[in-house]
Amino acid sequence: MMKSYIWLQNDDGSIQQVEQEVAKLCPIICQEIHTGVGSSKHNPISLPPQVNPAMLSLILDYCQFHQVPGRSNKERKSFDEKFIRMDTKRLCELTSAADSLQLKPLVDLTSRALARMIEGKTPEEIRETFHLPDDLTEEEKLEPLKNMTDDPRIRLLNRLYARKRKELKERDRLKNVEVEEERVDDRSVDDLLSFINGGKDSKGVKSSKSKKKNRRRKDQQRNVSFNCTPISNDASSSNNATEVHTKDSNGLDYMCHVGKIHNHVGEMLKLQDVEDDSFVPEDEFDDGDDIDDGIDPAMQEELDREVEDFARRLNSDWPERMQEILSLGQQRRPVPISINGNGTTRRCEI
Amino acid sequence: MDNVLVRDSISDLPESIIETILTKLPIRDAVRTSILSTKWRYKWANLTHLVFDGKCGTLCNDKGPVEDNLVKFITRLLFLHDGPIHNFSLSSAYLQSSPDIDQWLLFLSRKDIKELVLELGEGDLALTIRAPNLKYLCLEGEFKDICLENTPLLVSISVAMYMTDDIAERFEQSSSCNFTKFLGGVPFLERLIGHIYFTKYLSIGNQLGKPPITYGHLQIVELYQVSFEDMKEILVVLRLIVNSPSLEELQISGSSNTSAATEASDLDFGGKECPTDCTFGLLKTVKMTDMSGVPHEMEFIKFLLGNSPVLKIMSVTPSVYGTDARINMLIELLRFRRASPDAEITFIQD
Repeated sequence: MMKSYIWLQNDDGSIQQVEQEVAKLCPIICQEIHTGVGSSKHNPISLPPQVNPAMLSLILDYCQFHQVPGRSNKERKSFDEKFIRMDTKRLCELTSAADSLQLKPLVDLTSRALARMIEGKTPEEIRETFHLPDDLTEEEKLEPLKNMTDDPRIRLLNRLYARKRKELKERDRLKNVEVEEERVDDRSVDDLLSFINGGKDSKGVKSSKSKKKNRRRKDQQRNVSFNCTPISNDASSSNNATEVHTKDSNGLDYMCHVGKIHNHVGEMLKLQDVEDDSFVPEDEFDDGDDIDDGIDPAMQEELDREVEDFARRLNSDWPERMQEILSLGQQRRPVPISINGNGTTRRCEI
Repeated sequence: MDNVLVRDSISDLPESIIETILTKLPIRDAVRTSILSTKWRYKWANLTHLVFDGKCGTLCNDKGPVEDNLVKFITRLLFLHDGPIHNFSLSSAYLQSSPDIDQWLLFLSRKDIKELVLELGEGDLALTIRAPNLKYLCLEGEFKDICLENTPLLVSISVAMYMTDDIAERFEQSSSCNFTKFLGGVPFLERLIGHIYFTKYLSIGNQLGKPPITYGHLQIVELYQVSFEDMKEILVVLRLIVNSPSLEELQISGSSNTSAATEASDLDFGGKECPTDCTFGLLKTVKMTDMSGVPHEMEFIKFLLGNSPVLKIMSVTPSVYGTDARINMLIELLRFRRASPDAEITFIQD
């Protein structure tokens, strides 16, 4: 039996010969054949730019398999499942190529595969899978979703935040403020600290801490450096205090300790179910508080630093954490938390 | 962290592909893509195919909050939506409230809706649909009233109407003609499917004379749970099929109570509803199911057999109850004259 062939020209100019029965599965190619194009080497069908030789080869593999009439549905499904096992970049390219040729079954197949990679995943996971830039501000992330739920727990959290923020605003106004632009940072840190401490006689502790922080932040370059970038970029998996670059020797201890606290918090956050009141079991933090009380100032400073850094990380993690927690609690809804306008402290450039 | 510039290959795919992918996600996951990156912020908002099913709400047994949450979710989502909505599908056993649904329908009618599916639970819903572009309509639930006020392009209607007894009572007092209210403005109807109380619903109200329009495109009619003891319901069926010259396929299921229907009163099929030369010129397939063998049913079958010159299949399936009636049914069926020489009568035993 004579097989008829047609000629296809790729974007890079190269021409190849393909079995007509196979290529005809693509509507675009089919149309072209009907108008007479593709029958000879000198008159090849020009493929759309989305179809490079690699993609063409994949598409032809797909067509080759499926154009055989005798295959059972099970066989076809099994082939499909194996066929789409490729990295996301190629999957996207393949979707685009199949779409340009109007090969709908393949577009459906690849789209379904891509959808499976999105369904049920956290935003960070999705960003990692597809290499998406995380370029929305915290505000923007919450904005469209703020309207989407009306969970009483979230409202409670919002109210608490609002109240704390108001209190801090008052206190700040009375304090002598040199570092104007960092006040916002402080507030969020203090916010969380006092919130985490459950409001139990934290006012005294809080003010002293914040004072210290103010002072410290004014005059340090080196210490802050290891507070920021290395840790915060790992926010996606908050359970590992992974690759940490420090410049200070005593920073090393700091790091390990922070890692421990972070793990600690990770545990805590995981443990809590979506019950109402205490988002953070106060017991766990009693340790920290006890350590704080009545020790020498050097230790106090170090602990302050740790707590500050931890809190900053927590601040940046919090929206996603909350989403995770709530979705674990069988609430598949995103979380509107109005964190103050500074947005993420994640990328603090020095 | 990533020194290699890894390309984001998914965000720049053509809109049609993104829509295909997002449509394959549950609606909540689709909406949550808005926090992935700036490019993704509003991709979900252009979806033309919205499906809300049981997975949207929280998994909770308390009906009130679930309904509340679902209503809020849908309302807010519709608010944020941009562009046309061609398909809207809502399935929720919890949803009852009428004002929201009316508003959604109004909103959808302005968004170029083409296909509408509403599957609801209990509740007294009076539905008015004005959607000039609507082509496919699927309704299921407890409706007090359904009025298709402006749906000239409807091609396919499927209605499953549940009814409680008190609604049925209220029906009896209604003066408007339900047949006209529902089927008065759908000249391009090709397919009509009615379950449970649909035929009874249509039978209520004053309906003398010809219906306002001829259903020139109506090819398939499936009416289930038609009560053949109720003369009015039979008249509805007759009225419909007599004014549908293109009818090809008819399926009727009965729901008669054998004990009640022993008198074959005023069974004049050639009477006011049917002109004496009534012919079903294109009718090829008739399936009568759940037949109890009551006189009205047999007369109806006789009428069809005698007036369908191109009929190929008349299949009769007796109901599972009343097995003694079967012999009588068979005897009568044998006797009926057939207008079509090709007509095959099949009696389906389980």
